[in-house]
Amino acid sequence: MLSQDKYRIALLSAYAVGLHGLESLLPSPVPWLKFGLANIITLITLMLYGFRPAIMVTLIRVLISSLFTGTFPGPAFLLSLGGGVVSTLAMATALSAFRGLFSAVGLSLIGAFFHNMTQLFLAYFLLIRRIEPILFITPLIMLLGTLTGLVNGTVSELVIRHIKKSAITDPASGTG
Amino acid sequence: MSLRKLLHSTTIADKVLFSLLLLLSLSGIFLIKAFVPEGHTVVIELDNKPVYLLPLDKDGIVSVDGPLGKTTVEIKDNSVRIQDSPCRNKLCVRQGWIKTGALVCLPNRVVVTIDRGRETGNTIDAVTG
Repeated sequence: MLSQDKYRIALLSAYAVGLHGLESLLPSPVPWLKFGLANIITLITLMLYGFRPAIMVTLIRVLISSLFTGTFPGPAFLLSLGGGVVSTLAMATALSAFRGLFSAVGLSLIGAFFHNMTQLFLAYFLLIRRIEPILFITPLIMLLGTLTGLVNGTVSELVIRHIKKSAITDPASGTG
Repeated sequence: MSLRKLLHSTTIADKVLFSLLLLLSLSGIFLIKAFVPEGHTVVIELDNKPVYLLPLDKDGIVSVDGPLGKTTVEIKDNSVRIQDSPCRNKLCVRQGWIKTGALVCLPNRVVVTIDRGRETGNTIDAVTG
């Protein structure tokens, strides 16, 4: 791994931790509605620098955020880890298997969907162990995830364009 | 960066995926409400001890013996009421049918509550991220 990659991963992870922290400060109308702002960083990393930096950024973000919020290594940490890893894998698969088919918006929707399904699955095994409440909440979470995924994907698209544009006009500033 | 330009950059697959997810989740909300029973439980307590745990969606009448006599509880159409009570002021009977909350008869020490997920007492209270 090049040292430039390391700086990039460190910087992007810091952004992701920052966004994650900011998000936890936002008041939420529904307790389990989260915007998943950190996924913006994962998606940008994935589309600009590839899978390995993206999964690194996700792992670092999950670990550091859980240490900050005190959820390590409880069920909330496992839910966060599972959701983060599976959604990154899903987005990377969609990106490489159907190259050019989805834009950042589509990938973000895929990421949000897999993130939520993984968390519901893990929540069933780790926290609730009853199928009815999970079934009830699944479509609702799917709906919210689709909406927040749309917003995050749009933001990612804008940021990626901006980075690409500034990298073309000024090659020195292409560090992300 | 105009919004139209951004909309242009989303692919057809994006739009299909978005509509599919929206359709799936919206129909899921209604389908699951229709097919999965909500699993409410009627809990009848006497002297703070549960004596009956009954499903809310099964109609029936039960009675419990309190210090003053028999209190009769009726379940019908997903609602509960205290049908008859030996107490003097009959506040509990006057409360009528309820779908949520509780019916209380203090003189006869009977409390009827509608509960959800009583088996585990678990709720989703973890902060995830």
